[in-house]
Amino acid sequence: MHPFHPSYVFTVLVQLFPYIGVTLLMMLGTVIFGGAIGILLAKAKIKRRIVPRAIAEVYTYLTRCVPSIIMLFIVYYGVPALLLQFGININNFNKGVFVITAFSILFASNLGEVFRAAYLAVDPGQREAAVCSGLSEFQAFYRIILPQAAVHALPNFSNMLVNLMKEGALAYSIGLIDVMGEGNLLIGRNQGSYTLETYLGMAIIYWALTYVIELIFGKLEKNLSKGKKHATSVA
Amino acid sequence: MKLNTEFMRETFIASLGGIPKTMLITILTLLVSIPIAFAMALSKLENKKVSSKFVTAYVSFIRGTPIVLQILFIYSLLPSTLNHLIKDVLGLSVNVFKMNKIVYAIIVFSLNNIAVLTELFRSALGTVGHGQMEAAMTVGLTKRQAYRRIIIPQALVAALPNLCNTVIGLIKNTSLAFLMAVQEITAISKMKAAAGYYYIEAYLMIALIYIIVCTVVQLLFALIEHQLSAYKKRLAV
Amino acid sequence: MLFSVKNVSKAFKDNQVLKKVDLEVNKGDVVVILGPSGSGKTTLLRCIDFLEKADGGELDFDDIHTDLSHASAKTIEKVRKKSAFVFQNYNLFANKTALQNVTEGLTIGRKVPKDEAIEIAKKALDKVGLSDKYDSYPVQLSGGQQQRVGIARAIAVNPDIILFDEPTSALDPELVGEVLKIMRELAGEGITMIVVTHEMKFAQDVATKVVFMDGGVVVEEGTPKEIFTNPKEERTREFLMRILPDFNYSI
Repeated sequence: MHPFHPSYVFTVLVQLFPYIGVTLLMMLGTVIFGGAIGILLAKAKIKRRIVPRAIAEVYTYLTRCVPSIIMLFIVYYGVPALLLQFGININNFNKGVFVITAFSILFASNLGEVFRAAYLAVDPGQREAAVCSGLSEFQAFYRIILPQAAVHALPNFSNMLVNLMKEGALAYSIGLIDVMGEGNLLIGRNQGSYTLETYLGMAIIYWALTYVIELIFGKLEKNLSKGKKHATSVA
Repeated sequence: MKLNTEFMRETFIASLGGIPKTMLITILTLLVSIPIAFAMALSKLENKKVSSKFVTAYVSFIRGTPIVLQILFIYSLLPSTLNHLIKDVLGLSVNVFKMNKIVYAIIVFSLNNIAVLTELFRSALGTVGHGQMEAAMTVGLTKRQAYRRIIIPQALVAALPNLCNTVIGLIKNTSLAFLMAVQEITAISKMKAAAGYYYIEAYLMIALIYIIVCTVVQLLFALIEHQLSAYKKRLAV
Repeated sequence: MLFSVKNVSKAFKDNQVLKKVDLEVNKGDVVVILGPSGSGKTTLLRCIDFLEKADGGELDFDDIHTDLSHASAKTIEKVRKKSAFVFQNYNLFANKTALQNVTEGLTIGRKVPKDEAIEIAKKALDKVGLSDKYDSYPVQLSGGQQQRVGIARAIAVNPDIILFDEPTSALDPELVGEVLKIMRELAGEGITMIVVTHEMKFAQDVATKVVFMDGGVVVEEGTPKEIFTNPKEERTREFLMRILPDFNYSI
């Protein structure tokens, strides 16, 4: 077996560090665009008007069943071909566009579920009380419901972000140069000599990112949920 | 855009041939990981210090890193390690490099799935109120009997929806088995696609097959849940 | 004497909940433990059945003598097989029918043959007035019915003593009566019980001994007559004044 060089793991960490930005940017883009679709999905499911709701349910169902890598390939090969029909050539677009598109399509349903669950977790009495004290529906939503729903959403949202980051590693398969992509290039350049060290370095970066995401959201939740703490009582 | 429907039909039928392999990996992985994960969840709950620390670190590492990385990592490590283990330690003359690739897939997915299921079982066992164990103790059951007869049956029902999600996640993850040269659904249609440059058609068909497989799995779970959760329904049937 | 505990102590972190409590129970006694919330009465009951591990104290129960803080698993099992516990929130096994809830302790805990166990269980359920609910699951029963199953589960194993932990506290007021009625019947049959409760009328009518606890100690004990008409301790009087609007006492 090839001898293992622990010190090279450190070299890998240094070399891959700048590419964390690409990974995070991909996540940010997905949260923005996927989140926008997610809000629509959540709204359609909550309002219970039959047609939008059916569309939202079918959308959620279908995207839930498709593996990320397949969706990446569909978007990467399919969207340019589709747009070419209309004379638009996007074959030279940045790979990131395809990655964000694919993951937005997939994670919209997860995000939608996070929003929906958070909204429903707020007692309906909160809206009623707000409206009865003279707030408009809009004000009731922004001032009373949203802040409470956001706290409920935090743990699920944090989970979803971690999943997105992990699935996002698949973007290397269409050529995105993020942590995973650069790591694979590194292995290629070393002609396979430091394979294990490189994979280990990559794993450490992802593990650390997961840890940081969970830490931040854990802290946020703790800070924001002050209104929910019960008075401490002695049993 | 015009899709090549003839090619789609062909790919669909060819890829159907990958379903048995996908299901084989899924089922064997579950058979390996469910008992181990359950034991790990229990050891974490019963708070046995040493094992619970190991379990926590293991679960955290697996859940904190992408599965594709785990696959590449273990796949690059596994053959030579297994070779060393079998040849030098056990003294057997099995050629590891000629072993069916499915074995690697099952090892990799089991390692991943154990971590996911440990968390799942731990939280499912947590949903069964503490009072159930207390009541079982006071009527004279041992801890083992209480788990087997009272706690686990209830935890299982609580775990089913998440278990269904986990199985679907596992099936979706098996689409990455092509990285280990396993000829399952994705690998077969990828090859067809590359041969004819009909990528989009091929991938749409794979998506369709996964949707069908997942639908069957979900129906199965709905059926099981209906059977097992009779005690939760307010009105007697 | 059938049953006694001595010097029971228990602390949750810095909070000393029980401070060397003694309790004696004779065969056929109905001992009612009263006291404000936080007085340690429920903890005492739970320590007796090892649901809570006491920090110190001794237990004598028939031929069993044991330390409460480090009893062997075998001893704990022996105590539990000779006793039964009725919980405040019933704790019926959610995945078992009413009948199975009662047979569980017989067939599994005590190796009674299945047919015999079912006979015993049906009798117990008949006794608490649930002849038509054998096959109902707990979610299909009202709180009062669930607690009656809980009592059937306790009496079916023919225990030497039944421990009741606030058996009516979780019930809607209109359902309290049906549970108390059954407990009165059991007392009338001479079943030995320790009852933690806030039901003063039950204590006055049924108890052979009333124990008043406050702040982790037994403040005073005596017959219902002694406690309710002529309490010796100021703390007992204050408690009764608060809880019984028509309580009068002479100084």
